[in-house]
Amino acid sequence: MRELLRHPTGLAGAVLLAIIAVMTIFGPLIAPYDPQQFHPLSRLQGPSVAYWLGTDQFGRDILSRILTGARSTILFGLGATMAGVAAGGAIGLIAGAIGGAVDSLIMRLLDGLLAVPDLLFTLLIVTVLGGGSGHAMLAVAIAFMPGLARIARSTVLSVRTREFVLAAQARGESPAYVIACEIMPNTIAPIIVEATIRVSFAIMLGATLGFLGLGAQPPSTEWGLMIAEARQYMFRNPICVAAPGVAIALAALGFNLLGDALRDLTDPRGRR
Amino acid sequence: MTQLPITRRSALAGLAAATALPDLSYAQGAPKTGGTPKSGGTLKISHPTRVASLNVLQISGPAEYLAVDMLYSGLTRMGPDMRAQPDLALEWSADADAKSFIFKLRPNVSFHDGKPFTAEDVVATIKTIQDPKSASPARTVLSMIGDVAAVDPLTVKFTLNSSYADLPISLAHANARIVSAETLKGPLTALDTKANGTGPFKQESFDSARMLKLVKNPAYHQPGKPHLDAVEMHLFPDLAAETQNYLSGAVDAMLEVQQADFKRISTAPGSVGVRTPSGRFVNVVMRQDQKPFDDVRVRRAMAMAVDRPTLVDIILEGYGRPAGDNVISPGYRYLLETTAPKYDPTAAKKLLAEAGYPNGLKIPLICSNRPAIRSQVGIAIKEMAKPAGFDIDVQTMPHDTYLANVWMKGQFYIGYWGMQSTEDQAFTLLFTTDAAFADTAWNSKEFDALVAKGRATIDDAERRKIYAEAQALMVRDVPSIIPFFQDVLTANRSYVKNWVGHPLARYFFVENVWLDKA
Amino acid sequence: MSAAYLLRRLAAILIVLLIVSLTVFSITQILPGNAAVMILGEYATPAQLQALELKLGLDQPWYIQYWRWFSGMLSGDWGVSMRLSQPVAALIGEAFWRSAALALASLATVTLIAIPLGILAALKRGTIVDLVIGLFAYVGTAVPEFVTATLLLVFLAGPDRGFLPAGGFAPLSEGIGAALSHVVLPAATLSLILTAHIARQVRSEMSDVLSSDYIRAARLKGLSERSVVLRHALRNAMAPAVAVISLDIGYLLGGILVVEEVFAWPGLGRLIIYALQNRDLPVIQAATLVLAFTYALSNLVSDIVIARLDPRVRYA
Repeated sequence: MRELLRHPTGLAGAVLLAIIAVMTIFGPLIAPYDPQQFHPLSRLQGPSVAYWLGTDQFGRDILSRILTGARSTILFGLGATMAGVAAGGAIGLIAGAIGGAVDSLIMRLLDGLLAVPDLLFTLLIVTVLGGGSGHAMLAVAIAFMPGLARIARSTVLSVRTREFVLAAQARGESPAYVIACEIMPNTIAPIIVEATIRVSFAIMLGATLGFLGLGAQPPSTEWGLMIAEARQYMFRNPICVAAPGVAIALAALGFNLLGDALRDLTDPRGRR
Repeated sequence: MTQLPITRRSALAGLAAATALPDLSYAQGAPKTGGTPKSGGTLKISHPTRVASLNVLQISGPAEYLAVDMLYSGLTRMGPDMRAQPDLALEWSADADAKSFIFKLRPNVSFHDGKPFTAEDVVATIKTIQDPKSASPARTVLSMIGDVAAVDPLTVKFTLNSSYADLPISLAHANARIVSAETLKGPLTALDTKANGTGPFKQESFDSARMLKLVKNPAYHQPGKPHLDAVEMHLFPDLAAETQNYLSGAVDAMLEVQQADFKRISTAPGSVGVRTPSGRFVNVVMRQDQKPFDDVRVRRAMAMAVDRPTLVDIILEGYGRPAGDNVISPGYRYLLETTAPKYDPTAAKKLLAEAGYPNGLKIPLICSNRPAIRSQVGIAIKEMAKPAGFDIDVQTMPHDTYLANVWMKGQFYIGYWGMQSTEDQAFTLLFTTDAAFADTAWNSKEFDALVAKGRATIDDAERRKIYAEAQALMVRDVPSIIPFFQDVLTANRSYVKNWVGHPLARYFFVENVWLDKA
Repeated sequence: MSAAYLLRRLAAILIVLLIVSLTVFSITQILPGNAAVMILGEYATPAQLQALELKLGLDQPWYIQYWRWFSGMLSGDWGVSMRLSQPVAALIGEAFWRSAALALASLATVTLIAIPLGILAALKRGTIVDLVIGLFAYVGTAVPEFVTATLLLVFLAGPDRGFLPAGGFAPLSEGIGAALSHVVLPAATLSLILTAHIARQVRSEMSDVLSSDYIRAARLKGLSERSVVLRHALRNAMAPAVAVISLDIGYLLGGILVVEEVFAWPGLGRLIIYALQNRDLPVIQAATLVLAFTYALSNLVSDIVIARLDPRVRYA
């Protein structure tokens, strides 16, 4: 952790994420207004003392919406990634550890799924599930699964022939024990790095789904949806679009920076 | 910025809307704007929804209506004054009880492929529409036609199953344009991509992903028209891109303008906003065959919990008129002036308590996310109805999910409908027991009887009385909340003359349009 | 690179297609809602619905439907679009080339900008130039396409400052100027994220190469810095760059979905979105397959290119 904070990229990422974390945890508490409250007489206003970031088409306070929207946006990214990591990691671990026919069958399947671009895959699944934030999250998780499974598998393969694994096998430990206690702990680092970067990607995918009308739905304050709803009004109050846009970019940036720093620190080749 | 009245109207917003009807003096062949029409030029129009098909018997998209209005002609056509004008029919007459009609056809009209237009084409088209296989939306509108026959090549006789005075209006239906008998002998799918009509423009090229290009029909039946050499319809799925494209001068007209953009577009240099009051509406469906909306007091409480003028202000940006749950808007012929329920959350709360909900009512309201106005109305109503004790949970969903799970089934959801040509069409679309989309389950025998009676009545005064009763019934029972009527908004560059709006948004009279350019 | 290797790779692509086709087919089979309602939409009358249900005849068991569809795909009969009543092959064919033009324009832009940027950053490591490029690379990958697209629309295509068309497509027949001007904004949108990502990768690869023994040896031999960089370092950094670009093609193919929608580009991306919104099953199935095939093929091509660029890479 201290190493991370001494790393300039890592520090920048950590600072950004700290801000985002505060918004995610305390956003609804520190929001000056109810994010859904209409102020029909103050529609599409610029920043003022009463409304720091101005108001949207219904006169709702943009700052309050951004603050409450952090939760749905960030949790979307984290949730989708963690579900994808859990499912993909498990599959990759099993494929890599068992090997043989099971491994090649799983790998062929994953290759097939990987050939469909992430966004299209997500759209197909969301269409089946029927849109909405929860379904979109599940879809992103499913779309992430093959890629993460592949990474997990290749890490497992590189670990599998290391001395400590061979030693455990020689001790006569059960395969389950070897996977759980010897292989898994040593594959965690690369997966965490990959997952951190994927969170930013998931946030952007979620926002894009909101934009296409398949992700979060009104009156949610998810940032991508806020942009989609406000685009019609952007010439009357550009902050309607700019504020959630900047928020998405900062969150994605935070996870990107942190992920890169983690990679530098964990990858032996990366210390440069 | 040229046409000042429009901008002034927009500035006055909702206040002026109820009275400021557009210039309706416009009629066929009588250009609204002064000056001698100049011939030539290409009119480029942008539109946000796709022209997926050119099948005039089936289409139902906003841009498709424009395309077929240019490619095809019907026997009659609805003028902006909501009366049937002669088109391929020159004149018509009915017998005393409106059960038999004779239509005299225009001579020397030919289809785009050069074949002459005769009574046989009319008979073939009507018969095809009546065949369920054609899947034409015009079928229900023309269901009263028992028989149609060619008396001679230029005379058609319609025999109706029951008296129906408005047949000339029904025949103006956008999907009842005349197709050549020869085309109809082949597979109907040929109509999807190839149009052979009698309209002012002929199909030149059709790429549904990008552009429909039409060229002048030199043999058009109105002498000296069309003025334009060609029309291009360009598809722009993203509204922001469409607006930027229009404002930068790349196209000459926009088929639809969003309320949010209308003021900016009307006041931009060289651009004119065209605003036409219409009977288009958003409604809140409250299904009456289950709790809680089986109780009229709940429905009335809901009606009182909606602040209609504010909805017009914040959702329509003032481009519309508050309505009072009566589907008949001022553009129809037999409007009964009723007053909209006043926004009164206190009274609504009291009524809700009387109906057995002293602690308020928690209920989900379903909105499709296309077009955005549905969820906007839902969210606004949620906020407005809060003080009245309604705890509304707005659930927006993608349009396809809505179609699969809620549409025609849901208990409390948002509908969105265009204006109809007649009272009868409006009533039988949604509100009679046998309506095509009877999603409110009102099932009022009294209302059904009035609608049936009005349909068979020929005397104008008598009809007005009957329709007034039907409307009063609707206001009393509140089968659905109709909070406002939305204007039809379009725009054109100032050198485009005679581009007009129409309350039905299905007739465009592009043959009158000309470009005042050097 | 042997012929046997190529054959094996092509066979692998076929397997991928088989899996994708099965996946997409099963997805389209479990889409919720009555297909006829989904296709005709909200304002269709009951009679219209009945007529279409008869026409669709979706009453066969799934494996027969699948076999019919898959064998049709192989024999070139891709069916007819349910919503657009045109042959799917023709619809996709036209859309594909338009998308390909857009994708190639973006790839060319990315290659021309990202690789020099990455090299520059690597050469000037630790300087302000490196920092600026690094910042751009990070910010660039953090902005979703629809936001970039919106910004470009407002600032470069508006009535006030605009000098580029706000979307739309002009075929070459309308003049090369018109055709090119319509490509700029969508291609720029697509390029931004890719440029940022690839520049970052190239910088790190190039840094590795520059600090390698091999380059140190070249420098010790007294070769000019120019020749060291251009002849030796660049050549070795190119292969990983191509690998990154080929991976990003998958991202590019997803990106066209959003960008084409915003900029009214009549390509495959918009066709897919339209088909998804209107439940046009034959189009969804065929278009997904075409995208997957393109991606798989581009991976193969890039592997071949890498083998050519990097003498160390051998494919047996």
